[in-house]
Formats: sequence, C-alpha cells, structure tokens
Amino acid sequence: MISVQLFFISFFGLAAVWFAVVVFRTHSMMRSALALLFSQTALGAMFIGMQAEFLGVLQIMMMATEMSIMAIFMVMFMMDPGGLGKMDMTHQKRLSVIAGLVAFVAVVVVAVFADWGPLASSVPDAAQQIEDLGLELLGRSMLIFETAGLTILTAMIAATAVAVEPIKRNRD
Amino acid sequence: MNLIAATILAPLAAALLILLLRRIPLALALSGATVGLLASLGLLADTVAGVSNEIQLPGLPELPLSLVATPLTALLSGLVAVIGGLVVVYAIGYMKRDDEKVRFFATMLLFVAAMQTLVLAGDWILLLAAWELIGLASYLLIGFWYRRPEVKSAATRAFLYTRSADLGLYVAVFILIADAGSSNITTTLNTGGGAATAAGLLLLVAAMGKSAQTPLHDWLQRAMAGPTPVSALLHSATLVAAGAILLIRTAPMLPDEVLLVIGIVGGITTLVTGLIALGERDLKRTLAASTSSQYGLMLVAVGAGVPLAALLHLLAHAFIKSSLFLGAGVFQHSRDSTAFSELHGAGRDRPWIFFGFALAALALTGIPPLSGFFSKDAIIAAALASSYAPLFTSLVLASTLLTGAYMARSLRILWQGNTRHHNIAGLTWMGAGLAGLVILAAILGAAFPAIETIFSDPLPGNNVAVMLGLVAAGVGLTLGWFVPAQRLLGPLRPWSQRGFAIAGGFNTWVVRPALAIARGCERLERALYDEVLALRQLGLNVARGCERLERALYDGALALGRLGLSLGQAVRLGDERGIDGLIFSLVRGMIHLGSRARRLQSGLIHRELAITVVVTALIFATLLIPLLAF
Amino acid sequence: MTPELFPALITGAALFGIGIYGALSQTNLVMLLMGVELILAGAMVNLVAFWHHLHPDTPAGQMFVLIVMTVMAVEMAVGFGVAIARFRAIGSVEMEEAAELKG
Repeated sequence: MISVQLFFISFFGLAAVWFAVVVFRTHSMMRSALALLFSQTALGAMFIGMQAEFLGVLQIMMMATEMSIMAIFMVMFMMDPGGLGKMDMTHQKRLSVIAGLVAFVAVVVVAVFADWGPLASSVPDAAQQIEDLGLELLGRSMLIFETAGLTILTAMIAATAVAVEPIKRNRD
Repeated sequence: MNLIAATILAPLAAALLILLLRRIPLALALSGATVGLLASLGLLADTVAGVSNEIQLPGLPELPLSLVATPLTALLSGLVAVIGGLVVVYAIGYMKRDDEKVRFFATMLLFVAAMQTLVLAGDWILLLAAWELIGLASYLLIGFWYRRPEVKSAATRAFLYTRSADLGLYVAVFILIADAGSSNITTTLNTGGGAATAAGLLLLVAAMGKSAQTPLHDWLQRAMAGPTPVSALLHSATLVAAGAILLIRTAPMLPDEVLLVIGIVGGITTLVTGLIALGERDLKRTLAASTSSQYGLMLVAVGAGVPLAALLHLLAHAFIKSSLFLGAGVFQHSRDSTAFSELHGAGRDRPWIFFGFALAALALTGIPPLSGFFSKDAIIAAALASSYAPLFTSLVLASTLLTGAYMARSLRILWQGNTRHHNIAGLTWMGAGLAGLVILAAILGAAFPAIETIFSDPLPGNNVAVMLGLVAAGVGLTLGWFVPAQRLLGPLRPWSQRGFAIAGGFNTWVVRPALAIARGCERLERALYDEVLALRQLGLNVARGCERLERALYDGALALGRLGLSLGQAVRLGDERGIDGLIFSLVRGMIHLGSRARRLQSGLIHRELAITVVVTALIFATLLIPLLAF
Repeated sequence: MTPELFPALITGAALFGIGIYGALSQTNLVMLLMGVELILAGAMVNLVAFWHHLHPDTPAGQMFVLIVMTVMAVEMAVGFGVAIARFRAIGSVEMEEAAELKG
C-alpha cells in the first residue's frame, strides 16, 4: 500500500507541477508570480514530507521572500502586469515546447529505468539531521560553503553595481 | 837556377812594365832584352863548364814543371836571346814612325819570354804552355797592323794552320806521358815501340805546322803581312824553329820509320817551297818560302839520322835569315813596299845594307867561309851517309841549287834598277841590328867545331859532299842571276805562283769544311731555338686551354648557381602558392566557418538559451548512456 | 525500477521540462528568470528524493540542496540587477528582438 508519506509527496508534487504550468499559462504577471510562489511552497512541503525539515522550511521561507520581490519587480517592469491585454508574450514556441517535452521524457526515462541501488531503511530524526548538517558544514564542506559565501558576496556587489544608477559627470 | 829565371823573367818583366807604364817602351825593351841576353850567355857558359842549372816548379800532381839548361837547351836559349836583342835594336829604328810602340815592344818581349820558356822547358806541360803562348804572340804580332785589310785574315790563317797542327803535339804528349808515367822530357825519351812511332808521327805533324812544312807552308807566306822585325824574329829564327827544335830534342826516341817519313816530308817541302820562292813576286814572301825550304832541309837532316847537322843549320839559318829580313825591312822602308816590281834598284840606294844582305844571301847558299857553308855541308854529308842516300842527297842538292837561284834572283832585282833617294828614319838603329846579325851569320861557322865538342858527336865529313854542295850552289847562283825566273820554272810557274796548292789547298781541305761545320752548328742552334719557341707556343696553348677550361668551369659554376637560384625560386613559389595557399585556404575556411558560426551569435538571448539547452542535453545524453541499464 | 522514488522524480522531471519551456519561450526577462527558478527547483526535489531514499545518513545531500538554493538566490539577485540596468537603458525588459549583443 501507498504510505502516507508517499501520498503526501505525490500530492504536493502534483500541486507543484500544476502551479508551474499556471505560471506560464496566465497572462497576469501577478498571478504568475503567485503561482510560482505556490509551486515553490509545494516543493517545500514535499521536502518536509521527505523528512528534510530544515530544507523544507528554508525553501518555503526563501521562496516567499523571493517571490515577493519578484512580484514587485513584475509590477515595476511589466507593460501589462494585470494581464489584461492578453498578448502572446512568447517566441520560438515550438522549439521550446519540444525542448521541454524532450527534457521531461529524458529525465523520466532515466528516473524510471535507472537502478538507484538499495533503498535506505531509516532516516535520522530532525535534530540529528541538523546536528549532522552543522558538523558537515563546518567540517568537510567548509570550503564549499565559504566559496558559496564569497559567491554570494560577489553577487551582491555585482547586482548592486549593476543596479546603481550611473553618476552623471556633468551635473554641476 | 837564377840564370834561368833571369833569362825568362827579364823580358817578361820588361813586357809587363811597358804595358803598365806605357812610357819609355824603347828603353825598357832594350834593357829587358839585354838582361835576358846576359843571363842566357851566362847559362851557356855554365853549360860549357859542365855546370847544369835546373829549376823545378810544382805543377800537376806527380807532374812537376821544370826548366833545364842542358847543352842543347842552353845553346838554343842563347840563340833566342841574341837574335831577340839584335832585332829589338833594329826594331827601335824600324818602328820610329809608328805610334803603337808600346803594344809592339810589349808583345815582342812577351814572345821572347815565352820562347825562352819553350826552349828551356824540362817537362812537356811547360813546353805545351809555352808552345801555345808563342802561337798567341805570333797571332798578335802578325796582326799588329790590324787596320790593314789583308792583315787580319793573315793572322787568323796563321793561327788556324798552326793550331790544327798543334793537335798532333797534344796527342803526342799525352801518349808520351801515359807511356812514361812522367812529364819529364828526358824521361819520356826512353819510350819505345808503338808509342814512340805514334808519338813521333804526331810530333812531326806539330812540327809541320809550326815550321811551315808542306802542306802547311802557306801560312808563313801570308804571315809576311806583319812588321818586318816580327818576320825577322819569329818567322825565321825562333817560332818556326820550334818545330825543328821539337824534332831535334826528341830525335833519340824516334824509330827509323818515323825518321824516314820526316826526311821525306822535309825533302818534299824543301823542293816545293824552293820552287815557290823562285816564282815569288814579293821579296818577303820569297824569304818566307826560303825559310820553309831551309827547315825542310833540317828535317831531312833529322831524317838522315844526324840531328846535330839540323841543329847547326838551324843556328846558322837563324842569323842568316833574320839579317836577310832586316835588310828587306830597310828596302821596304825606302820603297814603301816589298814587291819586286817596286824594289828594282833598291840595293843601289843603300849599298852598305845591300852588302850585308848579299853576304847573308851567299851564306844561305852555302859559300865558304860563311856559316851556311859548314851547316849545309854537314847536311849533305849526313844525307850521303844515311840509309836512303840517293833520295836524300838528290833532294838536298836540288834544294841547294834552288836556294842559289832565288837568292841570286833577288840580288839581281835589287841591284838592277834605278836608284831613288828616300830618307829612312831610324836607319842607324836598323843598320846596327843588321850589322850585328850579318857579322854573326858570317863568323858563326868558327864556333861549330866547339859545338861539336860539346855534344861529343862527330859530324860526318865528306869531301864529296863539299864538292857537290859547291857545284850545286854555283850553278844555282849563276842561273838565278842570269836567267829570268819564268824561264827557269817553265811549266811549273803557275803551280809555283799558286803555292802548289793541291785540290784547292788549305781552303778546300780545312777552311771550307770548318766554315761548313760552323754554319751547320748555327743551323742546329736555330732549329733548337725554333724548338724552344715551339715549346713556348705549346706552353702558351696549354695555358690558353687551361684558361678555357677555367672559363668553362666558371660558367658551369655560374650555371650551377643559377640552377640553385631557380630551384630556390621554385621552392619559394611552391611554398607561397602551395603551402601558403593551403594555409590561407585553411584560414579562409576558418574565417568562413567563423562567420557562419557568428550567426549563432545572434544576440537574441532566447536563441542562445535554446542552443545552451540543446547542447547540454546532448552532453548529458552522451554521458548518461552507460548508466542506462537497459 | 524503484517506485518509491517515482513521485518525486517525476515531479522533478516535470518541473525541469516546464522550466526549460519557460526559459526558452518567454520574451520577458523576469519570466525567463522564473523558468530558471523552476529548473533549479526540479533539481532540488530530485536531490532531496535521492537523499531521502538512498542516503539519509549523508548530510552532504542536504548540503548540495543548500548550495542549489544559494545559486537560485544569487542568480535571481544578479538577474534583477541586470533587469534594472536594462530597464534604465531602454525602458523595457522585453527580449523580443534585442540583438544589440549580436556578434
């Protein structure tokens, strides 16, 4: 029988996929952003369902913030945030569809037909996970995370630099 | 020894002084001759006393040079010295008008010194050297007036004649030295057998040359072109005597066959030259022919086996002939010619001179009590006593007759004619010399017995000989005085005037061949020269060929270079068009590809994203194929 | 064939496909960014599924997911910065025929 866990994972998976589709099908920008938010949240729920609580919570929190900002940007930049114009804002549609479909099928094939090895029996509980994760972070993966940190810093500076309005020299 | 040295060195020193100082030639000549004369007389005195003088000089190894004063050599030395001295006195007068006294007297004294050396020589080598020297002096003296046309050829001819005969002497000396092992003359006289015969015959050849015997008599005739003192000294008494001296000295060695040949040669000569003398048209040439004739007589004497008779006649003849020549010299000066055509009556101009001349002429003919009588008598007696008496006697008597004839003829010509008065320079000196010689010519006969004693060799005395001699002389004189020479000679006249030249004579036999050889040598040399030129041409051609070869090589090298250059060019072209072309086409291809690839770079982000996705998918697919567990 | 993994993996595949479609088809920069978000999300869900079912003892799996999340955030930040700059430049974030970067 399907375990509860499996049921929930499937459910939230479907939800995520449905909302992802909505992202691109709707004309309204706001709705796209919100749909993406929901998709990501569903994904977070899936994480929790797979007993990766930390990751799940993190996902939900981050995505919430990100989507909000994206929504703001949407409104800032879009011609028709409301989507009332019903314009087809896509190009190379056929190629994209085919590419998407091909990707989907390929990954499914790989997922279904690959031998993933023996399944794990038990999952450590949350506290243990976090302790392990912390140790991992500061132990073996220290370098990785430091690099990640540096990358984030660089990205921040880059983004700021790009976004800052250039100073006009002949102001005075 | 000192006397010998003085005898030779006094005249030699005088000659050298004259040449060096070039002044007072007369005084120096006279003093030199006088000292030499005194020394020579001293030698003679020594020899008579029995003292023998000798000088030995270092010569070739084992062949030392030596000078000896034996009775024979001392006597001859005295002869040379006396005649030399008197002729020098005469010459002082004769050469008074001549400008070249220095050369004359120097050469004369040189001759005297050389003659003394020859006469006194004790070994063959010194004799040979002296022989050559007197030949040289003769050449110089005959050719003294070299500017006159006939003189040079006369001197050369004389030299050639005597030189060709000298070969005999050289070979004879060689034979004698080889046979005896020593060059000492006395030692070599012991040679016998075949060597003696050969040497004897060769010595005869040499004597024939020097003493102007037939067939070599012509040179003496021509030698009369020289100055008369020269003729008096050299060509009557001394140089021509050298041949006879040679035979007299070697007489002990000569075998009988050689003596016979000598006698025959002498006999023929005496006849032939006597006839020539009869037909001559020149006084000096007559006297020259007479000299040859008298020497022929001496050779007959040697051939008859009595060399002493020859020696005596040599002595007498020397004085006689030189006085005749000196007289002829005076006549020459008075008429400025010696041709009989000019001399008619020359005797009348200078009676005293003519008297001396006539006295000498009679002495020559053999009229007693003059010296010539004794010597001629000795020869006739020797001829009668010899093994070939008929032959020799007839020859000697014929010679005596002819002597009388030509001497009388000369006297007649000189006396019969118109006188001309002509002043002669230096007559005193000439007269003095002439007088001395004439006196000696007359009285020498008295010394002959003494000479016989010295040699301790009795002469054959024969009343028949005396008679025959006198008769012949008388007949000859008469014929010569009264009958013209042409009639006497008769059919022989043209022969006589041509000097009895046989088949062209010396000219044909010696001169023409010699000249032909000389011309042949010249042609040979020219041919060789042409060969050398041809070689040179060859060398040039080789050089030219090499030059062409070098040019060809050079062109070849250039062509090679050009080939290399063209090769380089071809490679360059190949490189440019081929490789570069390839590379550039590659480059163009890449550029083309790049420009095509550029189209990918559309700048359209969605396109680029699409490409990214597709390529990534492809990569993944490639990587994931092994993972798929089908 | 491990059916336990299927839901998560298929979900991940679907998200991946949709994300690719979106990234390639959208003209708007922000929409394109959303597509990329979806791609990364699909990757994340796959990762978690694998960690959960195959290697739960290994915190490195979670580590990986964290990294992906970081990448998502960073990418979004820089992307928005670029969008602002572009908007200031031409007044729009459309990528219709923006061929200024044509090489």
